[in-house]
Amino acid sequence: MSVPRLATGPAKNKLRSQTVNRTFYWMVVPALLLFVVLHTVPALTGIFYSFTNYAGYGEWDFVGLQNYVNLFRDDRILSSYGFTFLFAVTATIVVNIGALFIALLLNAKIKFQTAFRGIFFIPNVLSVLIVGYVFNYLLSNNLPLVGRALGIEWLSTSILTNPDLAWLGIVGVTAWQSIAFSVIIYLAGLQTVPAELYEAASIDGASHWRQFTSITFPMISAFFTINMVLALKGFLQAFDQIVALTGGGPGTSTESVAMVIYRGGFQGGEYGYQMANSVVYLIVIVVLSLLQMRTLQRKEADFS
Amino acid sequence: MSTQNMTRRAVDREQKSGPEPQQGPPKKRRTSNVNVPVTVLVAVLSLTVLIPLYFTVVTALKSPDQLGGTGFELPTSIHPENFSKAWELTDFPNALLVSGIVTASAVVLTIITNSMVAYAIARNMNRPFFKALYYFFIAALFVPFPIIMLPVTKETALLGLDNPVGLFLLYTVYGLSFNIFVYTAFIKSIPPELEEAAIMDGASHWTSFWKVIFPLLTPMNATVGILTCLWAWNDFLLPLVILSDPATRTLPLVQYVFQSQFNTDYSTAFASYLMAMAPLLLVYLFAQRWVISGVMRGSIK
Amino acid sequence: MNTEKSRTARWRRITGACLAVALGTSLAACAPAEQARVKLDFFQFKPEAVAEFKALVSEFEAQNPDIDVVINAVPDPDTAIRTLLVKGKTPDVLTLNGNGNFADLAASCVFADLSAFPSASRVKPEVQEILNSLGTCHGSETNGLPFANNASAILYNPDIFAKHNVEIPRTWDELIAAAETFKANGVAPFYMTLKDAWTVLPTYVNLAGNLQPRGFFEDIRAAAWTPQTGTHGFAKDGKEAAEKLKQLFGYRQPGADSAGYSDGNAAFAAGKSAMYLQGSFAIPAIRAANPEARIASFPYPTTNNPAETTLVTGVDVTLAMGRETKHPKEAAAFIEFLMRSEAMKAYTTAQSAIVPLADAGSIADPALEGVQDIFGEGRLIGYFDHQVPTSIPFTAMLQQFMLDGDTAAFLHRADNEFAKAAARTSTKKGE
Repeated sequence: MSVPRLATGPAKNKLRSQTVNRTFYWMVVPALLLFVVLHTVPALTGIFYSFTNYAGYGEWDFVGLQNYVNLFRDDRILSSYGFTFLFAVTATIVVNIGALFIALLLNAKIKFQTAFRGIFFIPNVLSVLIVGYVFNYLLSNNLPLVGRALGIEWLSTSILTNPDLAWLGIVGVTAWQSIAFSVIIYLAGLQTVPAELYEAASIDGASHWRQFTSITFPMISAFFTINMVLALKGFLQAFDQIVALTGGGPGTSTESVAMVIYRGGFQGGEYGYQMANSVVYLIVIVVLSLLQMRTLQRKEADFS
Repeated sequence: MSTQNMTRRAVDREQKSGPEPQQGPPKKRRTSNVNVPVTVLVAVLSLTVLIPLYFTVVTALKSPDQLGGTGFELPTSIHPENFSKAWELTDFPNALLVSGIVTASAVVLTIITNSMVAYAIARNMNRPFFKALYYFFIAALFVPFPIIMLPVTKETALLGLDNPVGLFLLYTVYGLSFNIFVYTAFIKSIPPELEEAAIMDGASHWTSFWKVIFPLLTPMNATVGILTCLWAWNDFLLPLVILSDPATRTLPLVQYVFQSQFNTDYSTAFASYLMAMAPLLLVYLFAQRWVISGVMRGSIK
Repeated sequence: MNTEKSRTARWRRITGACLAVALGTSLAACAPAEQARVKLDFFQFKPEAVAEFKALVSEFEAQNPDIDVVINAVPDPDTAIRTLLVKGKTPDVLTLNGNGNFADLAASCVFADLSAFPSASRVKPEVQEILNSLGTCHGSETNGLPFANNASAILYNPDIFAKHNVEIPRTWDELIAAAETFKANGVAPFYMTLKDAWTVLPTYVNLAGNLQPRGFFEDIRAAAWTPQTGTHGFAKDGKEAAEKLKQLFGYRQPGADSAGYSDGNAAFAAGKSAMYLQGSFAIPAIRAANPEARIASFPYPTTNNPAETTLVTGVDVTLAMGRETKHPKEAAAFIEFLMRSEAMKAYTTAQSAIVPLADAGSIADPALEGVQDIFGEGRLIGYFDHQVPTSIPFTAMLQQFMLDGDTAAFLHRADNEFAKAAARTSTKKGE
């Protein structure tokens, strides 16, 4: 074993001494190396190819910024960003409001609390892809039958094949699955709220809504921030559920950015071009997340 | 920052309530009057989860000509041959074994290595190198997978890692970004005096981590383990591009047999979906309390 | 250098094999006897034909005990083949669909030249020409041998035709008249499946392939093409095909928007429509839904002159060989084994496909009798969409067009997508 043992001698204040104990380096450097090799190098390689006309195989040349120029002229790419934003923002809001609501219910004095909690977490255990396939079948084969039997016009065709509504179907299924996890995080947050606060508030005669806005929400706002940032970041990268539900259709109305990159870059042989798209995509995700964090944290400060 | 408050509050609570072996979180208001309307509302809402599951199960049991109707009827006769057909088409035992090995290895390796890295970072946050490392890992969280997909495919093949070993290594390494974020917040709440005492007794940092800190990380390890397990088990895109040998396909990959654009046998497909979901679902049903409290504890820190 | 390479290769193979043992797959893989046997990687893209190829492979292995053919039946073949290429693991032998994707790969010279293979001379020249015209290495090689062809023809139910005294349409007007007759008698003329975007293609490739000028793609796929400067274009030449497509899809049954391909096969199998706008490839699926299904076929009449009618046929399965294969002799032997008339006949019979050999004789499947003559005469054209770069979402655009019925928007969008692709192609050339 090559681990240096430096624990001899006076150990007092060792942790706070000026030189870092070499063990700490041994703990991080191997992982760091692996991370650089398996993550950073590929990421930089990908960014490098965005300046070439590489097809993913064969020869390539530098094309300078041409891919980026073409990118901003491509209406298909622009509309995929439009869809992705619309989807991600709606899903983030729906998931967080839904999860918070369910968490509040589960935190109330109800019977079978543990069992219900267990049930609501189930969707999170399932694969996004398989959930998508099941809902695809359910929404296009069975709900229309139910709709026709009940004579409900809008339900009698599949929501997934309606260009105006398909995105809502995707939001719905995504929410079905993602709420599960957020519920647990919010429940955890709710547990940190001291019960005495509610007791005091109910003595003062505050309504439930008032208790929520002035006690509960401010107390769990940090959880809210984390949930919102993680949800938005995840939904901006939506891929699996769209593949399984609509394949980007009908037409190209539900093509997400990740999907356009995958199709054009890996299946379509325009790798360099789609890498330029990925770089822009990366910048967009980072900028949006930072903006979101700032606004939400400012809100947090306002509350407390 | 507010996360700090959060952590402090949580620690206070932990100290007040003492160690609580794996049972649900403490019920605070022990007044026995149950809120009936809310219970009913929750029960109705839980149907949104249960109905699709019920639908999957009955569809898997039907023969193709029973699929008409609204789809929610009970099957008129049970068709276990859907399962045997799916079993054979997907080579289920093999895929299960591969998925099992990849997932288990990813979980173990992730817990062991990621906690250690996070510990080293958390205890040296005042030093530029470790601080930079922290932000470096967190920043990687925002890199969309398509950027690295093709280069990493090429690289793993060059290194001879285009197999299950490479796959669980990737899960371990890619998990670092998020897990460090989770672990460091928790480790910061552990008073350094604990290790200092151990070190004064002559232990190295190495042993003090394994003997003192690692056991304290158990709730965090549970959280990270559960999340890694779900991710590795259900992931589709990474195994699709990394695994070269057809004999080493994971469960989500073999479901693709049913997604050819030509001719879909839904009964068999649903039987197969159910079989792919079942192992984790069963584990979850048995370990449910533990899983949920694991995730909850993890998120408080 | 070379021994170094083969040593690491062997090392990798051994670790791979031991891993297989660890995974409980097979214990024999680690036995030293492995050295003597040649292992061929066989990439097989067609999920419906897994059983047929398995049977062919075991027959071949029985005849050649020293060759081991490892079938790799892949999920998502487009991605799978590209990742294998990226990894530098080009399979030894491949089946692929003879489409634009195949041509892109062929043009980048990843496949061997097969023109000197004995079986190459037996292939029907018109069919080989359709495949090669999509693109080959240096534009001169033959990188794929056609193994099975399909035909895009209108499938019909002869019982329903007889019941309503409708003759087989030979012109566009007769086709519309037939559709009207069925409609008037309360029979659905066609069963349309708009949920799966690609199901619009079979009809469109016939209309566009026949009605748009020859040389259309040579022009619009040229570098720096724009709708303004080009000789051809969708707005200029594509209107008739688009309008006729719209007219046919005007006959769709209620609920067509949420019906998928499987629904269509089941419905046609159950006699729910007189005609079905598909092709030979749908026949096995229709029979799977109902073994007694009544199926016959006729070529798409796209104009009012029967002499102008052509058959759209594509190479459904093409055989290719990795250019850098370590076992060229064995791979060639396997391809020649597959290209025997008996093997091709057996396969095409099971899959309702057409043997693309010059001396193939009659088509095995009686449902395809209706396209026998036109195929024999060689009045063949390829699939229109195989010329469309894969980066253009063409099927999605057709689906969109059928949903909104806006011809001008469709033509404009098609022109626009090609103009963008051309702009990207010109950067590809470096200039």
